[in-house]
Amino acid sequence: MVASLVSLMSIVAFAGPASASGESVGSCVAEKFEESLHHHGESDHVTSDDIHHVAHDEAVQDELEACLEAPSPILPELTEIIWGGAAFLILLVIMVKKGFPAVKGAMDARSEKIRADLDAAEQAKTDAQTVQSDYEAQLADAKTESARIIEEARVTADQLRTDLSAQAEASIAEMREKAAADVEAQKAQAIADLRAEVSGIALGAAERVVQSSLDADAQARLIDAYIDEVTGSNG
Amino acid sequence: MADSPIVGYADALFSVAEAEGNLSAVEDELFGFAQTFQANEELRSTLADASVPVARRLQLIEDLLDGKASATTASLISMVVSAGRANDLPAIVDAFVDRSAGSRNKAVATVRSAIDLTGEQRQRLTEAIKTSTGKEVEVKVVIDPSVLGGAITEIGDDIIDGSVRRRLNQLRESFR
Repeated sequence: MVASLVSLMSIVAFAGPASASGESVGSCVAEKFEESLHHHGESDHVTSDDIHHVAHDEAVQDELEACLEAPSPILPELTEIIWGGAAFLILLVIMVKKGFPAVKGAMDARSEKIRADLDAAEQAKTDAQTVQSDYEAQLADAKTESARIIEEARVTADQLRTDLSAQAEASIAEMREKAAADVEAQKAQAIADLRAEVSGIALGAAERVVQSSLDADAQARLIDAYIDEVTGSNG
Repeated sequence: MADSPIVGYADALFSVAEAEGNLSAVEDELFGFAQTFQANEELRSTLADASVPVARRLQLIEDLLDGKASATTASLISMVVSAGRANDLPAIVDAFVDRSAGSRNKAVATVRSAIDLTGEQRQRLTEAIKTSTGKEVEVKVVIDPSVLGGAITEIGDDIIDGSVRRRLNQLRESFR
């Protein structure tokens, strides 16, 4: 701001000399001619001879021709170079002293801000990545856990099925054995009952036969035999 | 086996019979009555029935034994029944018989048989038991048709079983 103000002032201040060097071809010719007249006549009164003389003077013609020469497109007037160089130097000094540090500070501040923003973004990205990795880890844990639970449930179900199957088979085998044992027992009981029945009938018949055949003589003989038996038992 | 009241009654009966001097006869008669008493359910329940007046029960005994037993025997049975010990009568008689035989240094051999033994058979059996067991015994015969044939002799806890019933039972066992 300050630099621009200073440069404007310098342009206004040195405007006069700058414009003097930039005169037109006509004014240059007029000026040179008038100047040559003064040198020739030495008095204020100018005559047509004078004009004629001057106009044919070769020196004057060279000066006038000089007016017709175009200014150098590359090399400016010396004054312009001096003024321009001075202004440039002043402006350069001001810029070096004031402008560059300010611009540099602003640039630095901006760079710093951008860097801070980048850092923040990087941090945010890192945080986000951390959170993502956390989530991914949790997800993986959850997947592992769910897989474990499913596996556990499957194993339990298998075990249960096996157990139930074994129990059922054992029960069936037990029932079968029991049924077979019951059948055997009933068969044995029936046989025993039948045998007892038959033997009871046979013995009843035998008893009746014995009773009817045991008359007094037979009884007496039995008693005698018994007495003999007692005698011989331990004798 | 015999608790003290039974032994006490048996001792009392023995003392009376001994004092009366007809121990042997009383012994046989008491033994016979005890067998009848055990075999006859009606007689047993009547004599043991406290609701039947004592006089009537005694009259029943007198009627039963009239002319068949001595007055001593009838009196002793009446005493036991009137004392309310009718149910213990067989045990008392057993103890009495043991006591009586013991007084003669003899044991009692109870012989169960389908028929009565003759005197000769009794004599031979007594000898046979003495030979077999070494004990002097007095044979008491109990008629028991369920023996069928042969005899079963009990001397104390010893039993010599030679009955047809036993043979039939053995046969029954062999069928099983």
